[in-house]
Amino acid sequence: MALLTVDQLTKRFERETAVDGIGFAIGEGRCVALLGPNGAGKTTTIRMLTGLLPPTSGTIRFEGMKPGQDRREWIGYLPQTPAFYGWMTGREFLVYAGQLCGLSAKEAASRADMLLKRVGIDTAGKRRIAGYSGGMKQRLGLAQALIHRPKLLVLDEPVSALDPIGRREVMTLLGELKSETTVLFSTHVLHDAEELCDDILILSKGRLATGGSLSDIREANRQPVLSLETEGDLRSREWLAGWLKRLPDGLEAASATETGVRLFAGDLETARRSVLRELADNAADVRVSKLEIGYTTLEDLFLKAVSGS
Amino acid sequence: MTKWLVLFRKEWLEMVRSHRTLWLPASFILLGASQPVTTFFMPDILANASNLPEGAVLQFPTPEPFEVLASALSQFGVIGLLLVALSSMGILSGERSAGTAAMILVKPVSYASFVTAKWAAAVLLAIVSFAVGYGAAWYYTGALFEPVGWREVGASALLYALWLTLVSTLTLLFSSLLRSAAAAAFSSLAVAVLLSVAAGSLPFEQSWNPGRLSTLAASSLNAAARPLGGGIGSVWLTAAVTAAVIAAALLVAIRSMKRRPSEA
Repeated sequence: MALLTVDQLTKRFERETAVDGIGFAIGEGRCVALLGPNGAGKTTTIRMLTGLLPPTSGTIRFEGMKPGQDRREWIGYLPQTPAFYGWMTGREFLVYAGQLCGLSAKEAASRADMLLKRVGIDTAGKRRIAGYSGGMKQRLGLAQALIHRPKLLVLDEPVSALDPIGRREVMTLLGELKSETTVLFSTHVLHDAEELCDDILILSKGRLATGGSLSDIREANRQPVLSLETEGDLRSREWLAGWLKRLPDGLEAASATETGVRLFAGDLETARRSVLRELADNAADVRVSKLEIGYTTLEDLFLKAVSGS
Repeated sequence: MTKWLVLFRKEWLEMVRSHRTLWLPASFILLGASQPVTTFFMPDILANASNLPEGAVLQFPTPEPFEVLASALSQFGVIGLLLVALSSMGILSGERSAGTAAMILVKPVSYASFVTAKWAAAVLLAIVSFAVGYGAAWYYTGALFEPVGWREVGASALLYALWLTLVSTLTLLFSSLLRSAAAAAFSSLAVAVLLSVAAGSLPFEQSWNPGRLSTLAASSLNAAARPLGGGIGSVWLTAAVTAAVIAAALLVAIRSMKRRPSEA
């Protein structure tokens, strides 16, 4: 069942359209990645979901929310660079955030202690936030987003600003969290999305390029692909240029360089046979250094989607 | 309402931790007490100044006690206003540029509570600081000259507190509109000066002008000068207009935060 349904969401700024009529649904309990290169509209979309930015048009609807209820009650949000009051201690900030979400002072305090332990900064809870490192602030940010047990956890580039160790720690933490609540996070790193998510939404230039469950998308876009590399000597290059002009049916060049080529194939077996025959016929001319026959990865799809084809 | 109190308590805690709750009242006490004390010792100070010619005779009329208190108010009107504006100049723009406003406003908190809690804390601190400073002035005037009746002092304090509230509110308003904290402090002081100058110099009746408040406060100290400028009805009009301006400024500040809760 869809927890959140977004329909025809659009945000126009004075000169440009940052988000252009996107629509998607997020199922309850899913972990969804909002993927896209920088400037694709990820942060704008997230800020509209959290209510920080009024949409130009379009609707954002939560299933089961009473009319007139504040959407923010259901959302926990961690911005790209969380900001805190440096003069507060980590624990004070969590209690403050909890009370603002409607928890009683006692409840907020016990949630704060629990979450400090959960994100691994309980020893720093009584220190001023001004002295926290970037990784600690990110974890405190996660804790404050979780304080009121939100139905949807929204994270904007949660690991982009962290060093490799901090990144690993936050990714592990997210892996644990996704079994407890619905998570939407944005990233420009495909690898992070593949590691954590059930669903992906790929944004490109403010539009939704592809969306759906990771396995479905992988399956639907699984295309045989051949990649051939030569040593790049003169005769090999001449052969390659000539061969690309008379490619047999069912083979299509995806990208070619002077020394090699990447080919999409209609049928893997025919393609394999025709390439091997071609290479055998020209065995004297061509110095092959690498031949790989397999299927497209999500990386290919991601690049294709965001390169604006 | 509980959330409003939580927000208010945070503001107050911030002012305590940044020692604003110490230096603002302390400055007002210094300002308020120094006026009667220096006025009292002025003849001695001048007599001991070495550059007077031999045999010079100085004759100072002893000032009326209400005049001493009125000059304390005029001290507050210059340095006091500056301190009040400086102490809260970044109240909204600071949170917006730091990003903390966005952190708080994605929680189910109303924008009106967010702004009015900050306003209430800033105004409370300004009024408490003024009250202790004025109290000090009153005490030393009573001790060194003659006591001034509490009715007169009370009335003038109320009028002056309203004026301070207006200046605080204007600082908050400009802090929501302008990016720079210094520009916000400057703008609110400029508006305050313009209003007072207009009230004092333009040659027509201006019962509506809130800039009249500081003069009204000073003249209400003189029991003999009643009724106050233009009668009690016109004082109420001034107060009502000031309250309306404060309410309007708050509404604009709330709208401005709603429109732009964070930079970029």
